[in-house]
Amino acid sequence: MTNLTLSNHQLALMDAAGSADRRVFFHGPAGAGKTTVGVEWLLRLLQADVPARSILVLAPQRTLALPYYAALRRPTVRPGGQVTIATVGGLAQRMVDLFWTLIAEPAGFAHPDQPPTFLTLETAQYYMARLVRPLLEEGYFETVVIDRNRLYSQIIDNLNKAAVVGFPYTEIGDRLKAAWSGEQTQRRIYDEAPQCATRFRAYCLAHNLLDFSLQVEVFARYLWKPALSDPADPTDSHSAATLCRDYLLETYTHLIADNVEEDTPVAHDVLRDWLDHCQSALLICDEEAGYRRFLGADPEDGLALGDLCDERVRFDEGVVTAPGLTALGTELAHALNRAPEGGARAERSPLSRQLKSQISDSLIYEHHRYHPQMLDWVADQIAGLVHEEEVPPGEIVVLAPYLTDALRFSLMHRLEQRQVDARSHRPSRALREEPATRCLLTLSAIAHPAWGIRPDRFDVAYALMQAIEGLDLVRAQLLAEIVYRVQDGALTFTSFDQIKPSMQERLTYLLGERYERLRVWLTEYAAAYAPTSDARLPFDHFLSRLFGELLSQVGFGFHADYDAGRVAHDLIESVRKFRWVAGGVELGEGGVASERKPLGQEYLEMVQDGVIAAQYIRGWRLQSEEAVLLAPAYTFLMNNRPVDYQFWLNVGGRGWWERLYQPLTHPYVLSRRWPYREDDQEMALWTDADEVDARQDALYRLVLGLLRRCRRRIYLGLSELGEQGYEQKGALLHAIQRVLRRLPAEEGVMYP
Amino acid sequence: MTPFRPRPKQRRVLAYTGGRMGVSAVPGSGKTYTLSALAAKLVTSGVLADDQEVLVVTLVNSAVENFAGRVAGFVQQRGLLPHLGYRVRTLHGLAHDIVRERPALVGLADDFQIVDERAADQILQEAVETWLRTHSPAADDFLSPDLEEGRREWVLRGKWPALATDVARSFIRRAKDLQITPTDLFQWLEQRRDGLPGLFFASQSAASLPLVEMGGAIYADYQRALIYRGAVDFDDLIRLALQALRLDREYLERLRYRWPFILEDEAQDSSRLQEEILRLLVGPEGNWVRVGDPNQAIYETFTTASPHYLRDFLDELGVVSRELPNSGRSTLSIIRLANHLIDWTRTQHPVEAVREALTEPHIEPTPPGDPQPNPPDDPDQVWIVDRRFTPGDELGAVVDSLARWLPEHPEATVAVLTPRNQRGFELVNALKQRDLPYFELLRSSMSTREAAGALGNIVNYLADPVSSTKLAAVYRVWRRADREAESGEVQARFKAVSQALRRCRQVEDCLWPRPDQDWLEETARELEEDYPDLREHLAQFRALVRRWQEATLLPIDQLVLTLAQDLFREPADLAVAHKLAVVLRRASDSHPEWRLPELTQELAVVARNERRFLGLGDDDTGFDPEKYQGQVVVATVHKAKGLEWDRVYLMSVNNYNFPSAQPHDQFISEKWFVRDHLNLEAEALAQLDALRSEDGFYEEGAATKEARREYAAERLRLLYVGITRAKKELILTWNTGRRGDQQPATPFIALQTLWEEEG
Repeated sequence: MTNLTLSNHQLALMDAAGSADRRVFFHGPAGAGKTTVGVEWLLRLLQADVPARSILVLAPQRTLALPYYAALRRPTVRPGGQVTIATVGGLAQRMVDLFWTLIAEPAGFAHPDQPPTFLTLETAQYYMARLVRPLLEEGYFETVVIDRNRLYSQIIDNLNKAAVVGFPYTEIGDRLKAAWSGEQTQRRIYDEAPQCATRFRAYCLAHNLLDFSLQVEVFARYLWKPALSDPADPTDSHSAATLCRDYLLETYTHLIADNVEEDTPVAHDVLRDWLDHCQSALLICDEEAGYRRFLGADPEDGLALGDLCDERVRFDEGVVTAPGLTALGTELAHALNRAPEGGARAERSPLSRQLKSQISDSLIYEHHRYHPQMLDWVADQIAGLVHEEEVPPGEIVVLAPYLTDALRFSLMHRLEQRQVDARSHRPSRALREEPATRCLLTLSAIAHPAWGIRPDRFDVAYALMQAIEGLDLVRAQLLAEIVYRVQDGALTFTSFDQIKPSMQERLTYLLGERYERLRVWLTEYAAAYAPTSDARLPFDHFLSRLFGELLSQVGFGFHADYDAGRVAHDLIESVRKFRWVAGGVELGEGGVASERKPLGQEYLEMVQDGVIAAQYIRGWRLQSEEAVLLAPAYTFLMNNRPVDYQFWLNVGGRGWWERLYQPLTHPYVLSRRWPYREDDQEMALWTDADEVDARQDALYRLVLGLLRRCRRRIYLGLSELGEQGYEQKGALLHAIQRVLRRLPAEEGVMYP
Repeated sequence: MTPFRPRPKQRRVLAYTGGRMGVSAVPGSGKTYTLSALAAKLVTSGVLADDQEVLVVTLVNSAVENFAGRVAGFVQQRGLLPHLGYRVRTLHGLAHDIVRERPALVGLADDFQIVDERAADQILQEAVETWLRTHSPAADDFLSPDLEEGRREWVLRGKWPALATDVARSFIRRAKDLQITPTDLFQWLEQRRDGLPGLFFASQSAASLPLVEMGGAIYADYQRALIYRGAVDFDDLIRLALQALRLDREYLERLRYRWPFILEDEAQDSSRLQEEILRLLVGPEGNWVRVGDPNQAIYETFTTASPHYLRDFLDELGVVSRELPNSGRSTLSIIRLANHLIDWTRTQHPVEAVREALTEPHIEPTPPGDPQPNPPDDPDQVWIVDRRFTPGDELGAVVDSLARWLPEHPEATVAVLTPRNQRGFELVNALKQRDLPYFELLRSSMSTREAAGALGNIVNYLADPVSSTKLAAVYRVWRRADREAESGEVQARFKAVSQALRRCRQVEDCLWPRPDQDWLEETARELEEDYPDLREHLAQFRALVRRWQEATLLPIDQLVLTLAQDLFREPADLAVAHKLAVVLRRASDSHPEWRLPELTQELAVVARNERRFLGLGDDDTGFDPEKYQGQVVVATVHKAKGLEWDRVYLMSVNNYNFPSAQPHDQFISEKWFVRDHLNLEAEALAQLDALRSEDGFYEEGAATKEARREYAAERLRLLYVGITRAKKELILTWNTGRRGDQQPATPFIALQTLWEEEG
């Protein structure tokens, strides 16, 4: 039996949806069990002998598909073919790869005879940086105050939005300009950004590089939509489009698409088309969600897909949330959805005594002046739940709109002190901040003197301290002081034998011997692979050798440090990917690459510049699910896993109400819904009222989303002064205060 | 909180229900108290919707917390929830709120950074240096031709760059104040060079504005550097807030709705932009209360702040004008002296243009039966010491006087007020030498300083882990409470271990010893008899330092947080440390080449310097002189504003610190190495004005003269503020200055004459 987890109500809804040859649309609030039923639907298909290879499960991002992955791993699932679980973006990439030879030329790639290179966000950022930097020197973007790396990523983001929404990227500038109500001189950045995008696109086409936007565009234009090409022209991509589309439609005759509200208009277009051809389809849509809007999601468009299905089934019975939290949700919704400021407000009827008490039971809070006091309180409460009430840590989540590194570190540390396992949904540090990475990169610079990178003495001391097992900071510093010299630009490492005996004694002979092994290894490598020799070793191979032959051996720092080993692995992987992408261009082309620095040097500089953040999610995936989760609120929502207890940090903080502000892009203006028309620019102005509406709406959806994923209780972390010492009086605080005013005083007083 | 019993004049202010009202108050009249009570009254009266707030704008951060605390107290007295329904902000805080809510409107990313004055200064210096390198002949226009070659070289190396930086700073600030961009400047300069219609200059030199050329180029470079960092400075914040309000009518309307009442404290120091921002926020029909004392306007030099905004407001049609003339702070003698300063200035000041510096109303004592009666009068407790002291003698005399007075008045409060920080530090040193208890209120807040200082000592050691002296400092930070422990044994142990650590020749023997060379064992054995638990104590220290050493591999923010968690228990300290972690992280991100020594320096700067830590800084904000009975509080007159002490010494009242715009006066802004006594900062601003004006006319030297008058007026008000800090006893002294050529300030002589005449 596979349906043990379904309630009678859910079963009834599922049965009502009919058999597996229909197209069904499930919709309703989060927490009503739609995905659970979706999983059941998948399992029933398999039970009904539908070939697994004919089933395609689509989700907007991988985390949202996790319940399907989990279900397919159940022992009760019959072995056989494999169900495909993918995102539309992933599908696009696979298809572009598969049909490359057919579409490369019509899509405008300069070398259709050579294979494509798919860019990650990191490598796309790398190329964008290279192309935009000279323009910055010319005075581009002078009027906008923004960190350079964010500037690059926003231009990439614009390209992506245009691709997933389905309008030409050349329209971005006009749309943003038409919406702009601020200072007029700022408008020039909306001319400059598309110019950069055009440069980038041209470069990609010239070098067979495909960033996410190009993958989606090529797929949508050349592999899915036959209507766009000319059937009369045998040389065009019509055949490719037909081939690919037919291949997909014939392969996958059973569709399940979950969380369509978080997917993009282009994904919806594909689904619309597919619905006409598939044998069965289940589309699932959360109401009042749309948390990926800033990535191009279009929840309203997702909901409209229901019209194309044979059956619409509404799930309205919450199976997750405690009654108090449901009531709190209703109250908060009212507090947030009120008439615009200054407008009339309807009086609400008083709350019943029972509801008041249920709300009070579901909401715990304490007010603090300082931020660290709030963190202490949160940690104490969590420790109480785990140790005294025996709540599994995995049932607790700590949420904030943003998590700074300092906040994450402080809270993790506090929980550790209280013997509570915790995990964070972002790696605790970017790869470049990992001490082990810095150690490896410092040693790399030493082994490659031709790069001209001369590490600081401190970095050398820290690298030695990590590389040599048992070397403490004091001796590391002494050692670096004595042996490391940069003279006339040349780097030297004195051998241990040349050190004065008294100092050798201080450093100890054991550590001296280890240092000597390290030194000899690096020196020999440097000699063997000097630019004058013919030997060449890719940078990732160098790192592998450094790790394998030396650092992981007995007597060296990574020997027993598994964490450092993991970091080394991640770094090697990042370098390898970088080499595949950047190295390929270098080998295949002249142009920019011909006068380029060695790849390793370039990688090192990029990491130092922050262009390559080299952040890997692998780290947290390895963490136990049975730990308290610390995550940004939206990340938690995108995991779609309800928990018993939620802690909301910095409730007074404005981050809860503010959308990510990006001067060069705009999630609403660059959406399909935005009334942009070249001939009517009045309509297209983004006003303060639009902004307030958007924020209010986003906060409302966020709060509701969180409440619907909480089974028992919400804890509010309140501090008068935020992390940076600013007073916090954000919209969420006001909304909660409004709700509390409707409770009896002793329950509703937020401040002592 | 004791219930507030307003006196009749205060009651008239509290009767306010709406519209525009201006209140002119005297020192000690309880204006902040009254304004807080008014804010609380409005919050609790039910006129606000639950998404509306009374906006209170005040001058400095320290006032924000005071104000917020008082309003909260009043609100709680009325049985309501504190913290909601009002917002207290400095102009910077308000500007931050406005910009932060809609950053994109003014071209900012959502994570825009605010560089504080120190960081801004660093950027500015770099820009100035770049400019000077490429424009070395520029100095020729301004340096005094009498300078000998050697001396001239010396000036060019140190003095001239420093002056250029000052000039550029004022210039950029004024340009931002006037919402002028570098591009505007270059355009105008070009037009001027090309000869605009209607502009005629007798010669090429009359047309040229070299200081604008210089200021504009540095300004452009400075802005570029800020943009590169994704940052704005404090002046940008205000400029951009005004821009946002002007650009988006809907946003402005929303804010007008949110803040239906605006109460402004210290309105005498309102600047042009503050005036404009508040006027916009209030709107044509809005409610605005401005309270201030034009006689206490002391922040005007090279800014657009001016008491005339308040004065003009009081005269505006439709503005209800009120006065708070009663003050129970000082004795009648001290009040008489302060009032005499007003009268003398208005009628007898030798420079007529300065006579407007101080205005009526006079300070009136409180009426009979007032809850805050004036202290009993004793004219003998006012000393205007006419003795001709050298600076060193003056310090000696004041310290001697304090040494006599303190033991006899253990429960009284006393402050020494100096016109400048430097003089304050000199006094602190003198007090230290005499072992007199003091509290120095010259720099950033105590908790910021102490937390930063403690962390700084440890990071300093970690940057140089081989140093035993620095390791000893780490120990002293860790056991800082032992220094003043009640137990003599604990104190002695503190000293003994500190000394032993300092003597340790090889730090690794102490922390990571080889088996045969364990410093800890040796030291414990040596001192075992005196301190039986020493081994454990030292082992604890060793474990802690080892942990910290391992933490040096962490990013700086995590290192600081790790240290803080081991070092601090007080929430305020932990909050400061958290903030420092974020600040240092930012510094390290924008200077990836920085390592621990540079970051230690940055921490030291925080510890040493005044640095705006918005929101955090408890003891500045809550500074209560009564908590420092029996100690000498050393402060500048500026820092002393709003505070009061039983006895006040006012030092260095000579014609350098308090000039009167007379020929024999010397002016700090007129550098000896600049030709014709030009005040280049003032001239640069005048050139900027000329560039913007219709006739384009600029006359060299006129601005210097005008600056003298303005400075003289401001310093008169500073003197007035200093005098009115005293409750019962007041001592004024002067000195002859470094070169021995300074004289008592002219108002000093006027006051002294009065006092002698009155016997």
